[in-house]
Amino acid sequence: MSKVDPKLAKDIAKYGAVDFSACYNCGNCTAVCSLTEENASFPRMMIRYSMLGMKEEILSSKELWMCYHCGDCSATCPRQADPGELMAGLRRYAIANYEPSGITKLIFKSNPFSILLTLVLATILGFFLLTMKPDFTVSRWIFSWMPYAVIHLMGLIVFSFTGLTALLGIFSMSRRLNRKHSTDSNKTKKSVFQSIGEVLTEIGTMGRYQKCSTDEGEYWSTKPNLVRPWFVHWSIMWGFIGLLFATILDFLFKDPATTIWLPSRILGTVSGLFLIYGTSLAMYYRMTKPTKTYEATKLADWMFLFFLWIAGLTGFWMEVAVSFNLSETLSQVIFMIHTIISMELVILFAFSKFAHAAYRPIALYFLARNRE
Amino acid sequence: MKNKIGVYVCHCGGNISDVIDVNKVREEAEKMGGVAIAKHTIFACADSSQKEIAEDIKNLELDGIVVASCSPKLHLLTFRSVAERAGLNPYNYVHANIREQSSWAHSDDKKGATEKAISLVRSAVERVSHSVAMDPVSISAQNVVAVVGAGVAGMKAAIELADMGSQVYLIEKSHYVGGRTSQWGKLFLPGETGKSVVENLYQEVKKRQNINLFTGAELVSKKGSVGNFEIEVKITSRGVKKDADASTIEKAIEVCPEEVSDEFNFGLTNRKALMNFHPGQFPEIAAIDAATCTKCGKCAEVSDAIDLNLEEERITLQAGSLMITTGFDPYEPEKSEFGYGDYDNVITLPQLERHLELSNGKDLVINGKKIRSMAYIYCVGSRQPNGENKYCSRYCCTSAVHSAIKVREKVPDMTVYHINRGIRTYGKQEVLYEQSSKNGDIYIQFTEDTFPEVSSNGKHTVVKVNDLLTAGKELEIEPDLVVLVTGMTPRKDDAIGDTLKLPRGRDKFYNEIHPKLRPVETTIDGVLIAGVCQGPKNITETVKSSLAASAKTYSLLKREEITLEPIMAKVDAEKCEVCDNCSAACPFGAFEFVEENGKKVAKVNESNCKGCGMCLPVCPTDAIELSGYTNSEIEEMIDALTESDY
Repeated sequence: MSKVDPKLAKDIAKYGAVDFSACYNCGNCTAVCSLTEENASFPRMMIRYSMLGMKEEILSSKELWMCYHCGDCSATCPRQADPGELMAGLRRYAIANYEPSGITKLIFKSNPFSILLTLVLATILGFFLLTMKPDFTVSRWIFSWMPYAVIHLMGLIVFSFTGLTALLGIFSMSRRLNRKHSTDSNKTKKSVFQSIGEVLTEIGTMGRYQKCSTDEGEYWSTKPNLVRPWFVHWSIMWGFIGLLFATILDFLFKDPATTIWLPSRILGTVSGLFLIYGTSLAMYYRMTKPTKTYEATKLADWMFLFFLWIAGLTGFWMEVAVSFNLSETLSQVIFMIHTIISMELVILFAFSKFAHAAYRPIALYFLARNRE
Repeated sequence: MKNKIGVYVCHCGGNISDVIDVNKVREEAEKMGGVAIAKHTIFACADSSQKEIAEDIKNLELDGIVVASCSPKLHLLTFRSVAERAGLNPYNYVHANIREQSSWAHSDDKKGATEKAISLVRSAVERVSHSVAMDPVSISAQNVVAVVGAGVAGMKAAIELADMGSQVYLIEKSHYVGGRTSQWGKLFLPGETGKSVVENLYQEVKKRQNINLFTGAELVSKKGSVGNFEIEVKITSRGVKKDADASTIEKAIEVCPEEVSDEFNFGLTNRKALMNFHPGQFPEIAAIDAATCTKCGKCAEVSDAIDLNLEEERITLQAGSLMITTGFDPYEPEKSEFGYGDYDNVITLPQLERHLELSNGKDLVINGKKIRSMAYIYCVGSRQPNGENKYCSRYCCTSAVHSAIKVREKVPDMTVYHINRGIRTYGKQEVLYEQSSKNGDIYIQFTEDTFPEVSSNGKHTVVKVNDLLTAGKELEIEPDLVVLVTGMTPRKDDAIGDTLKLPRGRDKFYNEIHPKLRPVETTIDGVLIAGVCQGPKNITETVKSSLAASAKTYSLLKREEITLEPIMAKVDAEKCEVCDNCSAACPFGAFEFVEENGKKVAKVNESNCKGCGMCLPVCPTDAIELSGYTNSEIEEMIDALTESDY
């Protein structure tokens, strides 16, 4: 028994999906989707849940994260109900509802708030960074009314808060998906090991994403793999992961990154190239809108991509600056931008589009686990 | 007995000759009694063959012909006209079917098929040798049409017939014209209302000198037949003079002590026995409901315009044809059907329509409650899996969706659920569905296996429904108002159907002869049907059918003469003993009883008889003959067939 709540549709609309009430349930969207399957049917069913306001069904749907938004469904929809955009909107809705603080809801619903939050965070991080050179004029001014210990504590609190929120979000999602799937217990389930294997394979190869929009006659079918969305996504993802490792290695070995031939530096350089290639192409697509996917790019999409792109570029600048002994002041400003952007990405992980990096693998795990 | 009979055996290009030895049949036919000439031909229906037969008739002075070929359904009329062209009476032609009845049926037995064909030809020859020449029956007809029911169908037909030159009697049972349409508010397409449509038609009716409108009038009996009906009409006085002063009438209504529920508003309001017209009802004169009035006289004290002498007047009218446009009743849900009658916030679509018409202001208030959400339940009384009404009522999906749009014009933030079994806003009406879904209306679909349930949880009315579109999940809705989208049913009062013996279909609506080829005629010649009395239609379709019926009626009456097939029953007055069996068996009411030579006998009304032969076997004294199928013809045929070895 599910109670119908027509008000939810209006709430969902605030996350970017506005046209789905035009849906007349023909099911073309599900029929053309390369990723929908018998036990995980979308996008039509998700439209249905949204129209009827079945919040729990939406939040316990692994289907949301099985979609890579190729846009085929929206292009095929006879009612211009834009199911692809609804899926994207529902992912934002889910990210906002999994984490308990309510901050994400504000970020996604209000562009001014999200810009303000980013700027305030950047300012605070900027001041925080300035305190790392204690003899600097500004640092002395800051310490004159706020002791170093307090600043350090604030940093700890912020990171604990965001980390905890991310964990709670992941917990909230897993619990919902687990509850939904424990009801159909008759199904023969795959082992945990096997299921994790499937998720890792997908992360490694983007095998599911590769199926999107590549049927004969579809836009990407004639394009080389190197420029297809799946590879763009792969580049950004692995570029980011590579850079994360490189940064950690740099940090562990206290290497000032003076020579580019160290293994950690080589990893960083290669990953950075992938990241910049991916983000540049992704932004180019969002500007030129070659397919339906890119037609309704939200601020959240731009911010996420732009931050990654800036982080990549500034990273390279520093590598170049170190190698060619460029102006120190300029390099320090670039370093600050790089650090602020990177830290914003990490701090806002659970509150932004970035959260899909956690939620999608969880959903894929449940998909694999519950398939016969 | 004839002795110059021509027999033509057809090959049908192999259809017959591949199985039957056509030449053998011809040879045998040549030997039969009375046969002057027997031929075979590749295609008897071909122009050259027709010419050859006609020439034979002329040159050899043939007095009867037999063509042995396909089914008479295909070519009986072809060869009748060949005979007629050659100067032979067409009823001296007999058709023998040796294709469907022999070559096709017995393709595995060539010898047997040939034998059978010979027998069939022999029986046809026997029949033609006893056949009698007949001439078509012609009767005079009056170009006068009585239209029963002055809703949109009746009024539109009256206007159309009047313009073509017919005299029209428009007979309306109620004191007001307009029927169901006057009860409806805004119609699709926008800009029109039920009231404006009815007013327009009424003014057009009034303009025409050759339309006589009778209100408060009922057709109570019918005599005669097509071309010359004689109908009796009972007219109840409306009890209020035409030039009545509106304000004194209002006072008179106030003092009237008799109050009953107002059927025009489907019981949402009450009215007095002296009732005023509603917007959309014409003529705009008050009337007394004779059934409720006690003649207490209080109204007459207030107004001079009231005449309490409500006598019934009976008049007799002559008409060439009758057109029935008596419309429908909305389905009345049974007690507790989807909570109807149990909860006061469960109403029908026609009631909602009246609520919308009666309520002013920005809110929809029903039974004192502001309505914020509403659920339409579709197909109530239509498409019943277990009930009698199997049909779709056609108008209701469109009307309900349109009503939801109208409600939103009044209350834009209304939540609307459409609990349906598949939306049928066919044709141009699809734009309404489009608009409704863009408005954010929620469509939920159930199947005939799981009907929605309406109950109450003490605080709210709850609708439970298994939604086909959400993988059959059970949903629970708490709407402020439940609207049952009720279909159309035949009129409960079927006095006219009984009087005219109108045939009904399985759906209980009046039945046409053929849904595609003869969609407005009934099996009773000269009685036509149009509008919803024939089956569910929207206003557009109703008007179309009434125009079709008008054209059909006019084409029947315009020559003021009607030609009938001469194949009909005849009573031998001497043998008749007036047992009444024949008239009981006759489906067309063709028998009447008359005095002849001082004796009461049965007589066939020629214009009613269809020559079906139902009366023949029930006559105990064998007093009835069917011309074209006389006893001697049939007996000789049977003899010829039983003689055969086959």
